[in-house]
Amino acid sequence: MIETPPRPARSLGEAVGETIGFTQEGARYLKYEAGSLNPEGSRRYYFYLMLPAIFVLACITIYPFFWLIYMSLHSVDIGGAGDMWNDFRNWTRLTRDRKFQDGWLRLAHYSVLCILFEVGIGVLLAVILNNSRFEKVLVTIFLMPMMVAPIVAGLVWYYLYNSTFGWYHWLLQSAGILGETSILGDRGTAMWGIVIVDIWQWTPLIALITLAGLKRVPRDQLEANMVDGAGAFKNFFQVTLPNLYPFLLIAILLRFMDNFRFIDAILVLTGGGPANSTKILPLYLFDISFQFFKLGRGAAIALTLLIMTIVLGLILVRVFESPAGKVNQNEEGR
Amino acid sequence: MASRDIVQYRSPGRRLLSILTVVFLAAYLVWTILPLFIMFVSSFKDLLAAFQLPEVGDWLSIGVFFDFKPTAKHYVDLFVDNNFGTYLVNSIVAAGGSAVVSVVLGSMAAYALSRIEFRGKKDLFFWIISTRMAPVVAVMVPLYAIFRGVGLVGTLPGLILAYTTFNLPFAIWMLKGFFDNVPYAIEEAAMCDGCTRFQAFRAILPLVAPGVGAFLVLCVLFAWNDFLFASIIGSGGAKTLPPATRELVQPQNIQWGKIMAAGVVTTIPMMFLGLLIRRYLVAGLTMGAVRE
Repeated sequence: MIETPPRPARSLGEAVGETIGFTQEGARYLKYEAGSLNPEGSRRYYFYLMLPAIFVLACITIYPFFWLIYMSLHSVDIGGAGDMWNDFRNWTRLTRDRKFQDGWLRLAHYSVLCILFEVGIGVLLAVILNNSRFEKVLVTIFLMPMMVAPIVAGLVWYYLYNSTFGWYHWLLQSAGILGETSILGDRGTAMWGIVIVDIWQWTPLIALITLAGLKRVPRDQLEANMVDGAGAFKNFFQVTLPNLYPFLLIAILLRFMDNFRFIDAILVLTGGGPANSTKILPLYLFDISFQFFKLGRGAAIALTLLIMTIVLGLILVRVFESPAGKVNQNEEGR
Repeated sequence: MASRDIVQYRSPGRRLLSILTVVFLAAYLVWTILPLFIMFVSSFKDLLAAFQLPEVGDWLSIGVFFDFKPTAKHYVDLFVDNNFGTYLVNSIVAAGGSAVVSVVLGSMAAYALSRIEFRGKKDLFFWIISTRMAPVVAVMVPLYAIFRGVGLVGTLPGLILAYTTFNLPFAIWMLKGFFDNVPYAIEEAAMCDGCTRFQAFRAILPLVAPGVGAFLVLCVLFAWNDFLFASIIGSGGAKTLPPATRELVQPQNIQWGKIMAAGVVTTIPMMFLGLLIRRYLVAGLTMGAVRE
């Protein structure tokens, strides 16, 4: 890099005056105007622009958050006797609540299964699609499941899985993979049933993220490695994959959070059954709060879920700010 | 990959590999489309045809799937008997309303945030993104209690406000990245020409218009596809398409034709919108972390 000699500090007005050869008077005039152009000098204006959004957001997130803490410390009775302090009973109960602990385990089990398959298939898909002749068309088609409302996806798969008239059930049975049992009605297969729907809907997202990453693998590194005698496979594992890691990390974190966020499909597919084998924590929370309307206990569970999400969010923001994340934003040629 | 410029020899192994990739792509294509295709076709089947299935292992009579007389009965029924017209309007108002509120407030805030530095800006951003990521069920517990107190449960404004909990942070976060790419010099120039600050802000809006439009569409998409808020906060007076579709599932009498038709009605507009903003989709779905 060639270093430019340090320039004396000057105002915008002077700079403009110099460039366009203004008279001294004109320059002074511009300088006067330019004083108000300084972004730091007009903080109040920007503050007012920000205010409405921040106010609305505070009303619908911060206020409810404190309300949530309050609720978790009381027995909440909507429309009844009012809220009663109950000596942390909502919290102590969690330690004895088997369904709560199982819910976490099932959530982990479910998320790990989903992400494992989605990343595996998604990366394979992206590598194959990258620079293939029909990339554009195929990617557009593969995107379609992501546009489907999760509840509709759930209902369609519920139909496909049905043990008397579902086509996928028939397919699996005819192929000899499945016996007489219904997919969603059996404890052994129900989890797989909901995982497959998630894979169907969200593998394309992983593939797209990976594809974006593949486009940014530095060519010179690949070529240098090839000159060193690496074949296509070696090249993939030695150069491409390490370059993909930040992208994959983002993809995995986003999927984790979405698995915490959405339970729509599971709600129609199994509703948590059979014998609670698919009752992941958000679903249990939904049942407690909106089936039995035990909002106090629900609030305590919701808080644990929120804390977990915030931890994941912190990691995600770290990744955003990491050098890898920066590089990929700067390279964008907009 | 770089291998394009390099002379490739057609070894048997390579040929096998290329065949395998084609097979994989074809299989994945079928796997992606088949459920949607079955949904679409089944929505035109009458009650009996929807239940027809060949015997187990009887691969040859797979054609029974196409053996039916197409009928638009379910679509007509939805709108005549099941009030889907109202639900459709509710969906449009709730999704559109929250998208407009989010993008208008969001673009103002995003613009301001991209132009100034202050202490705690990072924390503010973390707050914004974490509200976007918060589990819907967890957010709903206090929101339901509050909304019930002020009579917002079962109303469209309540639903719009509920959707704003995830759309507004999304809009701020995404649009901030957009405004960052607009040089401050443009506003400076506009203000030198005698614009007020607000006029200068308006002057750069055309530059970010494609992004604003795309994120408006994405906000609509997120809100439209939501089920949980709609089924709890919107229950009663503000039923949208997803809960209405779910309600067609009744333990005794599941009308598959109708359900599939409702699925098609819910899905088609969003697919169209998704294709429309295809270029921004990955950025939108990854909170701007990844751009194509």
